[in-house]
Amino acid sequence: MKKFARLCALPALLLYACALFAHHGNTAYDETARVRIKGVVTEFIWTNPHSQIFLDVKDSSGKVVNWGVETNSPGILTRAGWTRRSLKAGDEITIILCPAKNGQPVAYAGSGDPGTKVIFADGRELAFVDKTVP
Amino acid sequence: MRIDSPGALSTLVLILLIPSGANAQAPSKDTGAPAPRRDLSGVWGMQPAREASEDDKQSPGGEIPSMTAWAKARFDLQKPGYGKRAAPGGNDPILQCDPMGYPRILYFPAPFEFAQLSNRVLQMFERDHVVREIWTDGRALPADPDPLWYGYSVGKWLDDTTFVVESTGYDDRTWLGAAGFAHSETMHLEERYQRVDRDTINFTLKIDDPQAYTKTWVALPRVFKLRPRAEIRQGYCVASEEQAFTRRIREPGALKTGTAPKK
Repeated sequence: MKKFARLCALPALLLYACALFAHHGNTAYDETARVRIKGVVTEFIWTNPHSQIFLDVKDSSGKVVNWGVETNSPGILTRAGWTRRSLKAGDEITIILCPAKNGQPVAYAGSGDPGTKVIFADGRELAFVDKTVP
Repeated sequence: MRIDSPGALSTLVLILLIPSGANAQAPSKDTGAPAPRRDLSGVWGMQPAREASEDDKQSPGGEIPSMTAWAKARFDLQKPGYGKRAAPGGNDPILQCDPMGYPRILYFPAPFEFAQLSNRVLQMFERDHVVREIWTDGRALPADPDPLWYGYSVGKWLDDTTFVVESTGYDDRTWLGAAGFAHSETMHLEERYQRVDRDTINFTLKIDDPQAYTKTWVALPRVFKLRPRAEIRQGYCVASEEQAFTRRIREPGALKTGTAPKK
């Protein structure tokens, strides 16, 4: 938890909201938390059943930490308006996510946890809400 | 009503966002265009419902009956990633892309599609692009079927809007939901799909499995809504990709606090 506490102290990390209900249920992540991290995309992996976003985030000492963020399958992301080109290496983004409980730089952001989303530098947002629902 | 503070507004938004379990699980009333006669064709999405407990993840839900000793022994060996017994890691078959099985796949958060042929109804799922065949040519269920990942199913119309499916012969390596509940190969399902209007199916499920449960498991009633803008995609679980995901994200997330990840 010490490492996680240190990461949370970064200016780039802000506690976003607590006590939101969650449906994803993956025990590795703290789904009661919404944490904001800012970084530069290094990879966007568009695979089943989990797409993944990797990004470089600077910690408080200036050291770059590569975070891995689990997200939804391409099917779910497509219905939320994403494509395989939605993110590319070099994009500067902020992600609101549920961090791992153990302090490792891995996290979840996706349809299972309302409030998680990607925000681009120009303010454009990519969320995980199904746009095909009438 | 006046909202005076951001906190009050947030609370109100949260209350509005939380689905009402009672409403979501209650059968939907006929309020839309009329249901077509003997036709379930189309893409359908399960309406959200507040699960009664963590044990209901990707599960039929409802009141889970007492397990037999056989089922309890299996349950104890099954280490889920969800529910009261959850721990990082685990041996859920889907973590290595083994088939999800039925009825678990029905509760996976993606729409499915019904297509009707002259002698069978096809139920098509996004996960692994599974096609479940429900025979409607009057045949009976086989008496001693070889086990199949998605069972052997027959269906008939009870009336112009109610389709009843009976099935058995399910491979017993699949779980009844993400919490790790077991079933036997002789599990018998009875599903009812009642299309109450063009856009709505009320769904009920009964699970009879005397080898595993001491009485019938009656699932939580669910509602499916027509999703004309949705398409079923090819959501194959690819083992090599799942392994890469496990190595890069799942395993670091499952480490004990303070443990260094493998290089």
